[in-house]
Amino acid sequence: MKIEICDVNKAFKQQQVLKQISLTIDTGRIFCLLGASGSGKTTLLRIMMGAIPMDDGSVTIGGTAVPNRQLLSEMGYMPQNEALYEELSVWENLKFFSGLQRLHRQKFEADAVALLQIVDMAACKNKLIRDCSGGMKKRISLAVALIHKPKLLVLDEPTVGVDPVLRRKIWLYLKQLRNEGTTILVTTHAMDEVTQCDDAALLRNGHIIARDTVKNLINQTPDGNIEELFFMDNQSEAEVASC
Amino acid sequence: MLSIVKRILGQMKNDKRSLGLLLFAPLLILTLLFFILGDSNYLPQITVVDMNEKFVTELENHATVIAVTEKPGAADYLEANGIDALIWTDTTDTHIDLLEKSSKSAAALEAIQETNKALQPSQNELIIDYVYETSGDNQLDSLGYIFLGVISFFFVFILSGMSFVRERFGQTLERMLMTPISRIDVIGGYTLGYGLLAALQSVVIILYAVYGLQLQVEGSVALCTLVMILMAFSAVSVGALVSIFANNELQLVQFIPVIIIPQIFFSGLIPIDTIPFGLGNLCYLTPIYYGCTALEMIMIQGKGFSEIWPWLLGSVVFIGVLFLANVIALKKYRRL
Repeated sequence: MKIEICDVNKAFKQQQVLKQISLTIDTGRIFCLLGASGSGKTTLLRIMMGAIPMDDGSVTIGGTAVPNRQLLSEMGYMPQNEALYEELSVWENLKFFSGLQRLHRQKFEADAVALLQIVDMAACKNKLIRDCSGGMKKRISLAVALIHKPKLLVLDEPTVGVDPVLRRKIWLYLKQLRNEGTTILVTTHAMDEVTQCDDAALLRNGHIIARDTVKNLINQTPDGNIEELFFMDNQSEAEVASC
Repeated sequence: MLSIVKRILGQMKNDKRSLGLLLFAPLLILTLLFFILGDSNYLPQITVVDMNEKFVTELENHATVIAVTEKPGAADYLEANGIDALIWTDTTDTHIDLLEKSSKSAAALEAIQETNKALQPSQNELIIDYVYETSGDNQLDSLGYIFLGVISFFFVFILSGMSFVRERFGQTLERMLMTPISRIDVIGGYTLGYGLLAALQSVVIILYAVYGLQLQVEGSVALCTLVMILMAFSAVSVGALVSIFANNELQLVQFIPVIIIPQIFFSGLIPIDTIPFGLGNLCYLTPIYYGCTALEMIMIQGKGFSEIWPWLLGSVVFIGVLFLANVIALKKYRRL
């Protein structure tokens, strides 16, 4: 699903968080929103999904203007923290969120078993969330976001706290989803994750300072390290000072 | 909506301690109240002025009796000596002077009545005077219904308010709203899920109070249960609404005195028509007023459905208004 963000502004109280953001995200790509903490990544995601209103500008997803409730059934959202019910088991959490998406029970059961296998949680599906480790919660949270096979997947820092073996597995699966036509939007502040993505935009202090394919972005840097992009921008010093 | 109801029940099933607190803590408090307010075997102190010997002997079976020959001034005498009642006769009537309406006075009156019963009813009329007259005729013994209402309301309010606050801060609310579910379904599921738990609690409380603690109910127990369930549902809605104004768990706890204590004022503890400046009319804003008034009518006055329906309707309307308020307030988290 193609996402078009047009001149979006957002301020909380006095602080301008997003300034004139315009961005197009193409169908069937893994798009990475890169930025330091506090740069407005999560705010942008929330606006895109219609959780919070933008001050002005517009967002359309697949040609439909946000906010739209039906659009939410095409989206899978994984928030930054786990957002799972501690008192419920892994399976019950999945079942609850699939119920909100109105999935059929038989379809849910088949899908859920397959999903848990991918995130390597099949063995402990009856474990309560409060007994799970941080990494396990992250994986379950990802499974919850995927349960209704969304066409657009929005992942807020999906691989923080996940070990390297599983991280590779998750990326492989995300790429497989992309090949099936799913659009995936990922935010991260870990630069090494970016290389897994197709396109990337760099967000700093509410501005998009670069947006291109990851390949091109890396070619722009002197040493192939995408982190350099944050230092190449001559505005950086002034804006840090203003904060 | 059904998914939310199922989820809430599932959460409770896996959180045995919360469930236990919800169901058994009210019983514990009620039991304590029962013993505090109940039959304490208090022997009232009664002074008799020049009464016949038969009366005095019989009265001694029920109270500590001090016999005097000359009638003292009631107010000073009762207060100075810690006596509960003063009995004297004039040519036609028997007078009983009491200090104020309290459980001690009630015990003294009961002792005198027992004595009269044993001695065959006297021809004399009993004239009861209170030194400090208070309006209303509630005696603490008959306030059981208030505690039934308040305790159940309190626990349910905390349960639903807390879970809503936790849901907001765990961001599960946001995640829930990032699905096509409508806001009406969210609030409906919430109200129904916690309402069912609260209803279960109401049934447990009322059964325990009536059959365990032998609380006197003049009217129908089933009707009492219905009133309690309605009150529980309004407590769920109040809890959810208040949680929106609380930024964390601490603030929700701070809201308890703000929300709960005024409810107690209007629950029937203070007669509403004696509250000055028309502040008594505020009772219509407290859900507990409808519940407790209906409970009083059933439990004390033995009234039936045909007489209490306006208060039931009041409860239902209140729940409806809170429901809408919650649906609108949820807009804060998702615009649609």
